[in-house]
Amino acid sequence: MSVLASDVRPLGASGTGPAQDGHGRRSSPWSWRWSDRFVLVVAWATGIGLCLIAAAIVVYMGVRGVEYLRPGLLFSHPQASTSQAGSGGFLDPLLGTLLLTVIGITLALPLAVGCALWITEYGRPGWLARVVESSIEIVAGTPDIVIALFGLAVFQLSLFAPLSFTAQGGGVYGRSFIIAGAMLSLIALPPLYAATRDGLQAVPTHMREAAFALGKTKIATIRRVLLPSVRSNVATGVTLGVSRIIGDTAIVLLLLGETLRIDTEGSIPGLNLLRATGSTLTTYVYSNSPAGEGAAPQKAYAAAFVLLVFVLGLNLIVTRIGRAHASTGLSGAGGGIV
Amino acid sequence: MLERLRRPWPDHRAELTLGAVSLLVGAIVIAMIVFVAIRAWPTLAHNGLSWLGPGANLETQIANMQATSVNPPASAFKLNAWPLVYGTLLTTVLAVALAVPVSVLSSVFIVELAPEGVRRIAIPVIRLLASVPSVIYGLIGILVLVPFVGNHVITAHEKASVQNVVELTGAGLAVTVVILTVMITPIMIALVCEALASVPVSWREGAVALGLNPLRAVRAVALRAIRPAIVAATVLATARALGEAIMIQMVSGGRSFAPKPVDGVIFLFEPLRTLASAIVDFHEGVSAPALRSTLYAFGLLLLFSALMLSVCGYLIKLPLRRYQTNG
Amino acid sequence: MSRIRRLSIALTVAGVLGVVAPASAAAVSVITISGATASYPLVSLLAQKYVKLYPHKFKFKIAQGGTQIGINDVAAGRVSIADVSRDPLATDPAGLVFYPIAKYGICVITNKANTLPNLTQAQVTSIFTGKTRSWSQVPGASASGTIDLISRTSVAGVLTSFQTLLLEGKKVSGIATEEATEGLLKQQVENDPNAIGFVSNYQVDLGGVNSVGFNGVACNKANVVSGQYAGVARFYEVTHGKATGVVGGFIHWIETSAPARKIISTQWVPIT
Repeated sequence: MSVLASDVRPLGASGTGPAQDGHGRRSSPWSWRWSDRFVLVVAWATGIGLCLIAAAIVVYMGVRGVEYLRPGLLFSHPQASTSQAGSGGFLDPLLGTLLLTVIGITLALPLAVGCALWITEYGRPGWLARVVESSIEIVAGTPDIVIALFGLAVFQLSLFAPLSFTAQGGGVYGRSFIIAGAMLSLIALPPLYAATRDGLQAVPTHMREAAFALGKTKIATIRRVLLPSVRSNVATGVTLGVSRIIGDTAIVLLLLGETLRIDTEGSIPGLNLLRATGSTLTTYVYSNSPAGEGAAPQKAYAAAFVLLVFVLGLNLIVTRIGRAHASTGLSGAGGGIV
Repeated sequence: MLERLRRPWPDHRAELTLGAVSLLVGAIVIAMIVFVAIRAWPTLAHNGLSWLGPGANLETQIANMQATSVNPPASAFKLNAWPLVYGTLLTTVLAVALAVPVSVLSSVFIVELAPEGVRRIAIPVIRLLASVPSVIYGLIGILVLVPFVGNHVITAHEKASVQNVVELTGAGLAVTVVILTVMITPIMIALVCEALASVPVSWREGAVALGLNPLRAVRAVALRAIRPAIVAATVLATARALGEAIMIQMVSGGRSFAPKPVDGVIFLFEPLRTLASAIVDFHEGVSAPALRSTLYAFGLLLLFSALMLSVCGYLIKLPLRRYQTNG
Repeated sequence: MSRIRRLSIALTVAGVLGVVAPASAAAVSVITISGATASYPLVSLLAQKYVKLYPHKFKFKIAQGGTQIGINDVAAGRVSIADVSRDPLATDPAGLVFYPIAKYGICVITNKANTLPNLTQAQVTSIFTGKTRSWSQVPGASASGTIDLISRTSVAGVLTSFQTLLLEGKKVSGIATEEATEGLLKQQVENDPNAIGFVSNYQVDLGGVNSVGFNGVACNKANVVSGQYAGVARFYEVTHGKATGVVGGFIHWIETSAPARKIISTQWVPIT
């Protein structure tokens, strides 16, 4: 159970702090040694300090965002221009973020839920289960820049030419929405898998046994009993995965082609969008910051503010799901942090 | 046919399908390691292990790689990436060294010391810190912290004292380490808080009954008991710090320079580059064969480090297993 | 799931895809370009005009990355055209054809507060190779303290041209901060009172920095046209083998048509 679901009280009945201890004045900090008092002050300072830093980040981005964000920016296409006034808005990066999120979660969800189901419910042969668990751990620990390099290595093979486009000289471009989405699904996989697996492990055995006693096969139990009961865990996992996809810059930088607008490829509607190149809010912020190729900090602030709003919203959803789940009284399996 | 698929499957088919899905995930990961290693092979073959060591100017070597795009000669593959390796080690070690005490103290604060109202605010706030995208950290770093350090912290005298070796612009080690610490601390806090909360209350109450004040009770009992969790959190935080590319590329100054501690305070302001930020810096040139195998060699090293970290964490936790509490 | 639900979900997905995907015409030729950041504004404008003149026939994908990246990409067949801002080098891959499209000037710039009017060749060489490190040693400069050299990364064609034309073939000191694009170099110089760098005349004309004369000749468009200014380089469009088909058509249009010449003449100088 995660203590970070807001209304879990980890200390039971023994009170929350020295000054509020229900047993009286015995443990007031004025009776402590100096070194202990110093540690107390430092602990308070770090805790409050971190909260202040978070507040400062949100407030600063909010101030700058409100300063530079106009609703028109959300709905106008970006233009190539050397002045901030003429460079348009960020509709295409916004759509790019949404599209990549959809592609990433669509690819990650069946993989993650399937793996979690197999590992908890079946898991034979044992060595394969260990290999699969270790590989998901490896993916969780891999830097996203290495996953981007992997994507570049794989999708520039001529086998995958239909997934992007081929330049006149015969080189496979190797960058498109479907390719970036596929690699982003890899980074959304571990949190989704962990959340689903924790949920499945927390379902009490008697529920499964009851279903078996009623004559249901294993797969029917999974479909009708287990999956519905881990719905909120999957929802938490999806939200965590979405927030990782939205916040990723390195994979998108290397694998989406970095065109300002969504540049469709080919003539089949739908498919041409998957093969398109484009940008997302994160690469838009990066490109417009003093580190990228443009130098438009105002647009960067505006887009970063929108990004932060998305992330805040996702956080709220996770908190809401955690609270609803805890209040329904089911044991265990709360959502953890990223 | 859709109807036939929607009827309940036999268990055997279901098990095989789910097993195939899991196998696919495992195969993808193995493919990742193999592909990166294959693409990195030319650099390793031409340099042996000396590519990790110091030697010629790295920037000249990379410029040379970019200039020889078709059929590069063997000399184009020469690489001495020590400044990058050193930069990665420096930022990671410093950030983790700062993050461990900060996160342990903050976790103790959240779980033990904070009144209920403060805790109710602190938990979502710290969860928010963990989910802020790294590009936003980088943006604040490069637009706020770097100019501040460059204009108000670095004195003209300090700039002049190293003027023949390197330029100090504010983007450098200090800003990088500070932001990196802020990024990895929430990850550690999450794990450590969870572990602290799962220490049985009776242990702590026993210590208090023996006369320890609550803070000492925590230190004597809970912190020792959650050592596996602290190790796990440190491993996770180190992996994150190792792999951070975008934020570091934005605030580290982009020079393959190895900051020297002997320079005193100036050491904190010297620019540097890490393996991950170098990949981002040079990724556009990936079509030049020599540069491509170099970048993949960096990626392979990062992958290898992440793997080694997991193994180390596992090994460190083994003897601590007797302290494992069940929540 | 009921049939109605499935149908409505399918319709919604199709609707979303339809809204997001712009209408795609059949048989559109794609021209891919990458390379110099200095000629990016020019090539973008030319591409925009070309698409306006021949609608629904051409699509451009223009990336930047730097001259050397463009050369590598076009030699490897990854793009059709490379934007190049320097003359051909002996080390360039074989089989590349260089088509000059415009002339531009390379200006030395300092911060607006640093009203340095002119530098001689010897001074420029000594500053950019790192021999002179303090503004107090540069007569006419109103800045003080260490000279902050801002240069370009090694893939930049403007860097190569600058070294050949204004630096007597020497290399810029390794101490210099390297920026990836012209825009970033200019921004760095705008923000740092002690900075000195070099950009194309297009960036200088946008304002915000102090342009330094070279050997007594001011760096402006008139002097570039007349040839008096020493630092005049060329933009090239480079293809692998002779340019044919749609690519050849585009380059031919740039070289010969009136609208293209008009665009080039706004901020740059047409060849001949």
